Amino acid sequence: MTVQVPKLEYRHRVDDLLRTERLPHVWCPGCGIGITLQAFLRAVKALEAKGVIDRKQLVFVTGIGCTGRASGYVRLDGAHTPHGRPIAYAYGVKLANPKLVPVVFSGDGDLAGIGGNHLLHAARRNFDMLVIMVNNFNYALTGGQLAPTTPHGAYSTTTPKGNPERPMDVARLVAALGANYVARWSIHYPVHIEESVKRALPRRGFRFIEVVSICPEIFGRHIGFRSPVDFYERLRKVAKVRKPKALEEIKYDWEDEITLGVFVDKDEPGYMESICQVYNYDWCKELPERRWSKQ
Amino acid sequence: MTLEIIIAGRGGQGILLTGYLLGKALVKKGYYVVNSEMYSAETRGGFSRSDLIVFPSEAEIDIIKVRKADIAIFMYKDQMHSYAEYVKPDAQLIILDGTFIEEPAKPWPRVLKVPFTRLAEEKVGTYRVANVFMLGVFSYVTGLVDPETMEEIIKTSVRPKWIEINLKAFDAGYNYAKENLEKVEIKL
Amino acid sequence: MARREFLTGNEAMAEAAIAAGLRVFIGYPITPASDLFEYLAEKLPSYGGVVFQAEDEIAAINALVGATYAGAKAMTATSGPGFSLMAESLGLAAMLEAPIVIVYNMRTGPSTGIATGTGQGDVMQSRWASHGHYGVVVYSPWSVQEAYNLVVKAFDTAWRLRVPTIVLSDAVIAHTRELAVVYEPGEVKVADRKPPREPPGEFKPFKPDPDDLVPPMAFYGEGYAVLAESLVHDERGYYTTDPENYERLVKRLEEKITRNKHHVVSSEARYTEDAETVIVAFGTLARSALALVKDLRKQGKKVGLWRPVSIWPLDEEGLSKAVEHADRVIVAEMNLGQLYREVARILGPTGRKIELVPVLTPELPGPDELLGYFRKAGVEI
Repeated sequence: MTVQVPKLEYRHRVDDLLRTERLPHVWCPGCGIGITLQAFLRAVKALEAKGVIDRKQLVFVTGIGCTGRASGYVRLDGAHTPHGRPIAYAYGVKLANPKLVPVVFSGDGDLAGIGGNHLLHAARRNFDMLVIMVNNFNYALTGGQLAPTTPHGAYSTTTPKGNPERPMDVARLVAALGANYVARWSIHYPVHIEESVKRALPRRGFRFIEVVSICPEIFGRHIGFRSPVDFYERLRKVAKVRKPKALEEIKYDWEDEITLGVFVDKDEPGYMESICQVYNYDWCKELPERRWSKQ
Repeated sequence: MTLEIIIAGRGGQGILLTGYLLGKALVKKGYYVVNSEMYSAETRGGFSRSDLIVFPSEAEIDIIKVRKADIAIFMYKDQMHSYAEYVKPDAQLIILDGTFIEEPAKPWPRVLKVPFTRLAEEKVGTYRVANVFMLGVFSYVTGLVDPETMEEIIKTSVRPKWIEINLKAFDAGYNYAKENLEKVEIKL
Repeated sequence: MARREFLTGNEAMAEAAIAAGLRVFIGYPITPASDLFEYLAEKLPSYGGVVFQAEDEIAAINALVGATYAGAKAMTATSGPGFSLMAESLGLAAMLEAPIVIVYNMRTGPSTGIATGTGQGDVMQSRWASHGHYGVVVYSPWSVQEAYNLVVKAFDTAWRLRVPTIVLSDAVIAHTRELAVVYEPGEVKVADRKPPREPPGEFKPFKPDPDDLVPPMAFYGEGYAVLAESLVHDERGYYTTDPENYERLVKRLEEKITRNKHHVVSSEARYTEDAETVIVAFGTLARSALALVKDLRKQGKKVGLWRPVSIWPLDEEGLSKAVEHADRVIVAEMNLGQLYREVARILGPTGRKIELVPVLTPELPGPDELLGYFRKAGVEI
């Protein structure tokens, strides 16, 4: 069967940040990754228009999974790393050239599952990078296996009688480790995602934005929300924006509430500035996060 | 000709530092020196061995560990017995710490027995520098390294707060040897 | 200015990396490589370089790859267990043609083995640790000075060929002190990247030059929007399953090493001019083998030594020349036959007798003990 791909005749405002020759993309109809990616790219455009950032300094690093495929479409310096390793790769980028600003864009399985150790330590170090994690509750690219974020009791292809495990609240964990910025949104809030990126991208230290997404084609099919609209509505029921007073109030419960909002928003020195307190490197005065966050 | 030196004792006697200082001094004299170490996992009380092989030039290097020592320095009796088999029967010089060793393990022809540990305690005030006291004796007796070189090596290799006491120990050893011992000609 | 120093192998390799222009060292503590890390932690910042202790070796190697794409000369140091963890992204480095350098101090394996013992069990692991077919260059020093020289050489090879390069040292070199002549940055010759010749938009990050098969390299931050793609990619760095592209890429990753092997291969032959028997050994064991050869020569036996300095690829011509007059080749190594397989592959068709002397011990044997292993293996000489 031959698939007819319609030729793009219009220009989208983020097209210049995309490798448009690579479209159409691999993501399924109804997938929330595109909403997240577009929100990120809009934020980049907006910050650039205001003269806050320079896209040449951004390095867009992804891991393996549906979300990991994003680096193939984004026209920035970047890398598509092995499974779980985008944060590790980003360390090297930043250490080698502190003028660069790594942005890690990947999924929950990649960042919180196989790459969990790097996530922990990057947050603990307050290492200068922005991490955007699209949480689709499962390993979708490989067919719907269990993820650390899969709700308790939910079907996955590797827990056919329901998930006996407790899920990980990744945003709360990262907040507990002392990251400078932690927010969680769902794809119902694209403008909020964009605003979060605008705030977090020019910031120093470790910044983490989780986007709870829908995956109708794989996870939705398994749990009875095959229609994107059904999945979207089901998630909306539990995705509640709050301003929690303490980390303990943040919930990640598919049956009750997945708390959304900005959980941490502070401006402590990041890793690079911390080493500048010990050694006087030439680049210490030129850290972009320092300059960008002042504008 | 190659000269093989073995230095051994208990962990904590400063064996590895002794080998390092002597090796560094011999390098400064222009020799090609190989210095390898063996020690047990315990920081104190196990065994410790430092091998030095002195080659006239780089082109002649081969072995890394002592095969049969021409000079052996044993600071403790257990290690003397353990490593006696790695010493040539007609070794050029055997140096023993008389504080801990009564009799040589084998009938070696040239044995120098000096109570380094006791003398260090008496003359320098601490047994902990017995190793460098021994180096002072070694320097005088063998003439392989002159005291000026050795002192310079101590100054640049030992932690600042330990430099003075080590220089004192080296001088004490050198002077003790000058007053009490005969020189031994070492073939190299 | 050249300085004569009395250094351990680890200290010398750290000095070599500084002289070669090291900017980023990323490590994880492991015996017998930690003291190399500690030495650089003391010294590298004063040269403007950064040291970073990663959470594990997996992080270390991925960060190294990222560091090279951001334009830095980058290195790590480890031993067998750490290298095993690095295996997956060693393949990444090969696939992305990232010029990383790894100091690999072999210890006694398998598994945790004997952490303080030495070993030579990782000849194959150094070559084939990662999945798929890819190219790496591996050097093996036998002295502290050679360890220094080979780390400098490793940076040159890595950047000249855009290939991960490994210095396969061992616990004995790591902690043995010898005289080493060392230099300051700028005093040793190390290749730099070939910069892009086309402007952004036209430049293709994986398009090789036809002569040396090495693609010019654009660094992050230079405006080229370089995508470092771990998937099989075309010259633009775009994922493709096209079989012809796949064949071309995988062949090139290996061929760029063989085509440039005059920059890479190296070996040393001693007493082989008239040797009827040639002993093949590498690394520190070759030192004991040399002493044994000298002993046998004194007994009037026509024995020689051939030792590879580059293990992968081997100097096949050097080996063939060294055994010209020999009808017998004996490979002695501290494993059950890894280099032996390569020697047998190269010389097997010539009809020579090729024998193996396995030396399984956590301590480097001297020449006398080595002779004992010859007898144990039934190899009379």
